[in-house]
Amino acid sequence: MRLFKILLPLFFAVSLIVLDSRFSYLNSFKSSLSTIFSPIYFAVDLPTQIIEWVNERGSEKAQIVSQNEQLRNELIDLKVKLQTYNNLVLENQKINLLLNSSYTLPGYQSKLAQIKSVSQTRLKKQVVINKGSNEGVRINQIAISSNGVVGQVIQTNPFYSIVQLINDPTLHVPVKSEKNGTRGITKGIASNKSGMVVDFFPINANVNIGDTFVTSGIGSIYPAGYPVGKVVEFEKNDNTQFLSIKLEPIVNIDKVEYVLIIATEE
Amino acid sequence: MIEKNNNLLLAKITIIALIISAISLPQFFEMIAPIWILIFYIYWLIYSESKSAYFLALMVGLIFDLSQGDILGQNALALILSSIVILRVKKSFYVSNITTQQIYVFLASIVFLVVFLNTQLLMFESDLNWLILFSPLTSAIFWPFVRFTLAKLKH
Repeated sequence: MRLFKILLPLFFAVSLIVLDSRFSYLNSFKSSLSTIFSPIYFAVDLPTQIIEWVNERGSEKAQIVSQNEQLRNELIDLKVKLQTYNNLVLENQKINLLLNSSYTLPGYQSKLAQIKSVSQTRLKKQVVINKGSNEGVRINQIAISSNGVVGQVIQTNPFYSIVQLINDPTLHVPVKSEKNGTRGITKGIASNKSGMVVDFFPINANVNIGDTFVTSGIGSIYPAGYPVGKVVEFEKNDNTQFLSIKLEPIVNIDKVEYVLIIATEE
Repeated sequence: MIEKNNNLLLAKITIIALIISAISLPQFFEMIAPIWILIFYIYWLIYSESKSAYFLALMVGLIFDLSQGDILGQNALALILSSIVILRVKKSFYVSNITTQQIYVFLASIVFLVVFLNTQLLMFESDLNWLILFSPLTSAIFWPFVRFTLAKLKH
């Protein structure tokens, strides 16, 4: 009986680990249950909220502050749109070289969200944003800032969402070199606060320090053309067919206050 | 009545551990921070007479997984296995001096960390930040403070 008391919870925990990491059956269950924990994020965020509230109340220029915030949001929105247009120009140049090619850019919707807290767990690099499923945020949607990709939504509840950062070691993002279009896949480095590596980048491809990598659009989760990182180090290893490339994320998460959550129009 | 009080204490302890764990810290401190959920649960294990310690470890672990966005069952599995260590030495733990208690907490934290990291490595094949290996040590260092604070909360 005692053994049964130990083995049953162990079996249950192991089954959940396998189910949750290998399949997505539990996603909706997790999302609905995580609503219960909204008050915890609220409690943790409360001191910051109070300080912000006192500051805003104390200001004689409250209207200017509000206007400034609105303009800042518009500026972020425009900068993000500009990234897409820059990419379109590049794509257009390539398309002009190919007579029989066809190219369609999918439509995207965006929502502005504020980052509430950064990095909650020791193994994951993630942030909590102030928009949840009530505002239409869904799992797998991506978060971008005015400079580039921030991460991907991994959990939502009606009031908050958790965004896994692009430099998290478990998040894989399909990318391509902005210079020549050669593709690879990035993931974060756990031992480095903000470093990333590019996997599966061919050894014969041209790459230099300072080259920018952007999302390739493969896999349909990440729209194409958003900046991801700049090359800070690369190495040719004769034992593999791939280059070893280290990237520095273009987005400095410590300085990002607002993100846009991007969803493909259905 | 005693069982009801035990469960109430566990609920309070879990909420406090969840709030402390959700506070954002610089990466260095985040990595070496004590395993709050474990040391809080150890306190409850030692001072309660519950017969469902493993089942409750599963529940507390799952709550932690959900709140932190971890893989469901990851903290739960680590907490159950660490509970086995603590329950094996429960009688000795209860009467030991604070240094011996810290050694027990250190050992349970190592079990927790090994299970937690192995799950992560098996599922995601990612690398690790070596600073995380300090967390069993900080858990042991913080144990006397946690014990003292929770004793106040208990009464």
